[in-house]
Amino acid sequence: MGYVFDPAAILTGRYLDWFIWGTATTIGLTIAAWVLGMTMGILLTLVRMVPFRPLEWLVALYVEFHRNVPLLVQIFVWYFAIPQLLPRTMRVWINGHHSEFLLATVALGLASAAYISEDLRSGIRSIPKTQYEAARSIGFSYLQAMSSVILPQALRIVIPPLINQTLLLFKNTSLAMAIGVAELTYRTREVDSYTFKTFEAFAIATVIYLAISFAIMAAGNYADRRFKLEVR
Amino acid sequence: MIRFDNVEKWFGPLQVLGGISGEVEQGEVLVLLGPSGSGKSTLIRTVTRLEPIQRGHVLVGGVDVASGAVDINRLRQRVGFVFQAFNLFPHLTALQNVTLGLERLRKMSKVEARGRGMLELARVGLAEKADAMPARLSGGQRQRVAIARALAMDPEIMLFDEPTSALDPEMVGEVLQVMKSLAQSGMTMIAVTHEMGFAREVADTIWFLDQGRVVESGTPVGVFDNPQHERLKRFLARHP
Amino acid sequence: MLQILQDNWLLFLIGQYPHGPVGGLAMTLFMATLGLALSFPFAICLALARLSPFAWLRLPAAAVTHTVRGLPLLMFVFWAYFVAPLVIGRAIGGVETLIIALVIYEASYLSEIIRAGIQGLPQGQVEAAKALGLGYFPTTFRIVLPQALHNMLPSMVSQFVSTIKETSLGYVISANEVTFAASQVNNQLMTKPFEVYGLLALTYFTLCFALTSLARLLERRISTGRGGNLAAQPA
Repeated sequence: MGYVFDPAAILTGRYLDWFIWGTATTIGLTIAAWVLGMTMGILLTLVRMVPFRPLEWLVALYVEFHRNVPLLVQIFVWYFAIPQLLPRTMRVWINGHHSEFLLATVALGLASAAYISEDLRSGIRSIPKTQYEAARSIGFSYLQAMSSVILPQALRIVIPPLINQTLLLFKNTSLAMAIGVAELTYRTREVDSYTFKTFEAFAIATVIYLAISFAIMAAGNYADRRFKLEVR
Repeated sequence: MIRFDNVEKWFGPLQVLGGISGEVEQGEVLVLLGPSGSGKSTLIRTVTRLEPIQRGHVLVGGVDVASGAVDINRLRQRVGFVFQAFNLFPHLTALQNVTLGLERLRKMSKVEARGRGMLELARVGLAEKADAMPARLSGGQRQRVAIARALAMDPEIMLFDEPTSALDPEMVGEVLQVMKSLAQSGMTMIAVTHEMGFAREVADTIWFLDQGRVVESGTPVGVFDNPQHERLKRFLARHP
Repeated sequence: MLQILQDNWLLFLIGQYPHGPVGGLAMTLFMATLGLALSFPFAICLALARLSPFAWLRLPAAAVTHTVRGLPLLMFVFWAYFVAPLVIGRAIGGVETLIIALVIYEASYLSEIIRAGIQGLPQGQVEAAKALGLGYFPTTFRIVLPQALHNMLPSMVSQFVSTIKETSLGYVISANEVTFAASQVNNQLMTKPFEVYGLLALTYFTLCFALTSLARLLERRISTGRGGNLAAQPA
């Protein structure tokens, strides 16, 4: 057939630029969505701890919605549907400020928040109530008990699942290509359509994705070993 | 030092404490005995408001623990509590368990707290285990660390809620030894326990509870050798 | 929204059939079911390989699962898109491409579930089988796997829910499932994206939430029904 596998051919000039920019966009999207997701996730967890039934229901609904609707559809809702509902000034602003990237960040971040809040919630719940009692018995106030005894333990429990969420978030950024965000997958297809070197292009993208994924997984393994508490 | 004034408590429709009154003097060692469900654990927990009560009063140092004027956290610093399940903080070393309160509440410097912490651990015989994680300690050792943790706060009163019930038999002795020397040093103590030998030797007063009431009380000699109440007689027969 | 539903419910449900191939929700379910079902044998092989004492089985299996775990599903979809026609020898449609990608992807995740199920069984089960003289294959297929799969049923239902959500990627390669159908409707109507995509989200939500609730029900049934270790039961 005479097909020569030649990745070097497309790792030059503007194609190399595309790969680099694509990777940068992917990483940027991951970080932006992660920050949004963590913030929102912590907020949701705190809200859920308020003993007010309707609030708990609201958060539960939020979580269930984001867990049962495909992420691609959520991205579409944010990109195609929500702007319709926003006031004109907001729409204009969004359109002038990288609307695709912005809305993809929002979609990815809010979806992550749902899972993160669940992880945080189960982490806090897994700490026996007796720990809180023991802290209060020494004379710590509610806030002191939470910050000195409960939260440090919760964090240790919660770090592995959070790192897993980070990995998922990173992989999900590829969906943003469907609305035109020029992240790695989008750029790879661009290189492919210009050079027809399909295998090389996707092989490079695969290597990049795997490299970053393995880095995240390695961080996860390290965190697991460092923070895992031996419970007899 | 501690006074119970007609203390009543319900869990829903079930009355668990039915009008308990009595006093514990400074330096006195009170042991609570009784079958399970008699309310002895509940009673001891009311002293630091770990259990709220519906009627009556619990006074510590003359102050009603339920009153709004009381800073409950301050109170709990002055009263040490040792749990049946030890409840050590698993993410901290033995020494850190002891010094946490000293650093955060008493605002001691790390050096000061460490010094004081080592002292308390030595007092319970665990100085060499200072840097061990709780998971690596035996049950008896964990409970002793828990006692050291409580003692580090310089309490005026020590409360023990079945401190040896969760321990293997061979480790019970080391914990009772610590409690005994504590009693001998003049600490005001209330202990809920099934250890009859300890009660006989160390207690100044014994209250026998049954179904939320103090059915009989007296000195160890009086209660053990001369039980009056039927339930107490049967209890003693089953727990030699 | 109701108007859209009224006008286009057939498109949503079964695509352009009979004037074209089956699509819509029917296709979504079809792809999800087929994808998961076909991945099953692979998943079992992978799980057993990962638990094997032979390094030449265990390490490649671990490499496969870690690699699949490190790549977005979309990459698998594109790889399938390019490679499958070469391997099979003819051009293939979006639906078949997606199913192939799903089989590979799901096999890996399913194998982790099965592995957890196998490892979660009490040691005593295998020991009892050995004591009876059963070899590896009878032990695995008649004692271990049936129990492991039963215990992991809730997780597998959850994985099915994930697979349903994953079929939405068919949109990218024009596979005629419900997300693609919705985008077609949206392109027709142009001015009602909120209603169209809202309806789409609601459709997935209803389906997936129902299945997730089923998974939770199964979870409760299984943990109370089995009552834990059947090895030591008080008389």
